[in-house]
Amino acid sequence: MSPAGGKEPWRPPRGRHRLPPEVVARSQRDRLLEAMARVVTEKGYTAATISDLTREAGVSRTTFYELFEDKEACFLATYDNTVDVLVQRVLAAYEAEERWPDRARAGLTALLELLAEEPMLARLALIDVGAAGPAAQRRYRSAVQRLTPLFDEGRDFAPDGRSLPPNTSRMAIGGVTGLISDAVLEGNVDGLPGLLSDALFATLVPYIGPDAAAREVGEPTR
Amino acid sequence: MSNTETRRQAILEAMVRVVGHKGYKATSVADVIEEADTSRTTFYKYFDDKHDCFLAAYDMVVEKVVDEVVASCDGEQDWVERVRIGLTKIVDLFALDPALARTAIVEVSAAGADARQRHWDAISKFTGFLESGRQVAADPELPDNIALMAAGAVSGLIFDELLTGRAERLPELLPELLFALLVPYIGPGAATEEMRRAAAG
Repeated sequence: MSPAGGKEPWRPPRGRHRLPPEVVARSQRDRLLEAMARVVTEKGYTAATISDLTREAGVSRTTFYELFEDKEACFLATYDNTVDVLVQRVLAAYEAEERWPDRARAGLTALLELLAEEPMLARLALIDVGAAGPAAQRRYRSAVQRLTPLFDEGRDFAPDGRSLPPNTSRMAIGGVTGLISDAVLEGNVDGLPGLLSDALFATLVPYIGPDAAAREVGEPTR
Repeated sequence: MSNTETRRQAILEAMVRVVGHKGYKATSVADVIEEADTSRTTFYKYFDDKHDCFLAAYDMVVEKVVDEVVASCDGEQDWVERVRIGLTKIVDLFALDPALARTAIVEVSAAGADARQRHWDAISKFTGFLESGRQVAADPELPDNIALMAAGAVSGLIFDELLTGRAERLPELLPELLFALLVPYIGPGAATEEMRRAAAG
């Protein structure tokens, strides 16, 4: 899947056409977002140039600057797109289940499978976002925060949820992103779905402790 | 220390200060030269470019933090106590020197994939200290990656605080950081008790 959502972006017919300008611009923008994702995956954010992007997207430099202020703005738009796709998939899988540990398992399974299918997303979301500077790093934090409420449902499930520290969800998220970043940096993106047991343990353990977490990891209820 | 080493060291320290204040991306070799009060020729005698210098500076920071942590908890105390002392040392170092903290935790992710790799290598130095926590756990069959999870949880929390410019508030967060490190081993009940104890004194 592309960060813009579809497999192959729709392109306006070549040559003279009578499409409304906003439709043409929309498709050019989508193509630039996809080009950014591909180029950044290939050579990293720092080395990516505007020329790489316009060539890859088949748009002119003028068009690029009509749509985006600079490389960073284009990256941030690509990033937001990527994160939207990830969050929507994870949410859909999570909400299909009832008990919180099953919901966590389903959400993590969706996340790890999506990242393994699309190594580009994993690199973009976790690795290259750092190189794009402080604005991108703040986006990363706010993307992660969108998932916080899912983790914090663990408070209602935990035997003594109310006495857990305020930042418990951020600990669970930090544990999971630590595992994922480590695998991505090791070049083991294909193997991400194999991290499910560990990622589930990391999610559950601050809420219910190691014994109960290990039981949940070992015995899914369905 | 020889004159050469001193000069190289001064450049590395300047790199940490400049990156800590301006961020890696905005930092130039010219900034570092000015801060270190040295010449461009000298800089390039020791380093290929900004990135090369940053990696060396990062290694220096990690070594300093690891040395201080090792020196602070020398093995006499039980595991929970050693974790508490070591973590307190890290938090104090970071609160005292926010530029060092930002370089170590935040800016390293701006310096490319190889720098991020070093970051995880550094984290695994600390996960080594955590490994003996398995012995205090009720069930020794904990996941292999448990130390990595614990370290990820703590570095995530510290990253958030530093990103929003709150290095000096890290000591307030210490009880929760301690909870995050202990909970995979001893569970939320016992970790909450340790958190309360740390908050009280």
